[in-house]
Amino acid sequence: MRNATEQDFDDIVMNNDKPVLVDFWAPWCGPCKALAPTLDELAEEYAEEMEIVKVDIEANPALATRFGVRGIPLLMVVKDGAEQARTFGTLSRSRLDAFVEANVGAA
Amino acid sequence: MTDIAFLGDPAIKAQALTRLRSHVAAGTFVIFPAWEDGKANVIGALVEADDKQAFADQYGYPIAFTTALEMIVNAFRAVPAAQDFVGALLERTPVGADLSRVVPQVLDYLLERPDVATLTARHVELEICRCSVLALHQRAIAGETPDRKEWKSARLAAVATSDTITDDAMARLAGLIVEAAAWPATMRTVLHDTLGACGRLEIQQMMDVMGWTDADESRVFKIREQAEVDGRMAELEGLDRVLALLDADDPELARGFRERLEQFGKLGDFYRTVGWKVIDLSEQAPLAASTRENVA
Repeated sequence: MRNATEQDFDDIVMNNDKPVLVDFWAPWCGPCKALAPTLDELAEEYAEEMEIVKVDIEANPALATRFGVRGIPLLMVVKDGAEQARTFGTLSRSRLDAFVEANVGAA
Repeated sequence: MTDIAFLGDPAIKAQALTRLRSHVAAGTFVIFPAWEDGKANVIGALVEADDKQAFADQYGYPIAFTTALEMIVNAFRAVPAAQDFVGALLERTPVGADLSRVVPQVLDYLLERPDVATLTARHVELEICRCSVLALHQRAIAGETPDRKEWKSARLAAVATSDTITDDAMARLAGLIVEAAAWPATMRTVLHDTLGACGRLEIQQMMDVMGWTDADESRVFKIREQAEVDGRMAELEGLDRVLALLDADDPELARGFRERLEQFGKLGDFYRTVGWKVIDLSEQAPLAASTRENVA
């Protein structure tokens, strides 16, 4: 799982050949911390189909502004350089799986 | 050695008990935080870190159980009761027990709860989903390893079915239990998420019985919020202040809120029951083959 910054976001996310699940998070965010192990599992499961990229909005506020991030954790699917879907807040593992399945495709 | 209690080594069980007892004796066993300034909850006390994976690796408890363990222990609320539960868990888990079927057995128990089955039975598709997830867990209990695609198919069907239920809030909550449970027991959050979904159903059942609504909850919140602004009854704190404000503004709402508090105090019963069930199942788990050979 890679971290993206304001400097390399476009290279890592927008120009990625694979779909990307972007995780907007912050170090002080408890629900974001709780989501992390689930994303680790998801990254392994969907390694072939997509990449998961984390964005610390505290360190990269311009990215939060650019994508209108008003709350975290926020997960956004980017496909072919464009936002495909987003979901905000805590999500059960099953709901997260269904979200990825619907917007990325089968693992 | 995955899911083999105490990795089959009596010295590991002894170490776990020693660590727990030293925290109990020092008065440093707490509900929260997990591991900070010498204070430790169930995870911190046994692995000296806030690390559930280390707990599972070092003591052989299934990762799905370890992930849900704080939720279960926290339901005991008082430290002495939590300590007793953790002590019983360690003492009653036999060294070398094969714990790999404990989580699917608990998930089976949760999916078979009569209140859940009654709710899913109101919607044919949802009942089919419950039965298919149940069947996968029962195959796992019987020693099979259902294919990952079977789990995925059952899970996506459950999520899609839950989403179609828009006119029956209770059945939808039961649907959330079914979809949360639609993972193999090796998946770390399956028990945690399923217990969480059961908790939400239980809260709603309780609120329905009491006749307490979201509008009541909102009214309490607004009265409390207004008091923060205008400083009313600032001489009181916390719950005392909320109750005094409600008594003054809306005695009927105050009565309902007191009942809600009392009923919510009982909510931990369900989690505690599941905790004791895990202990029973662990105690009855067969010894792993390697342990049996050592014993022989």
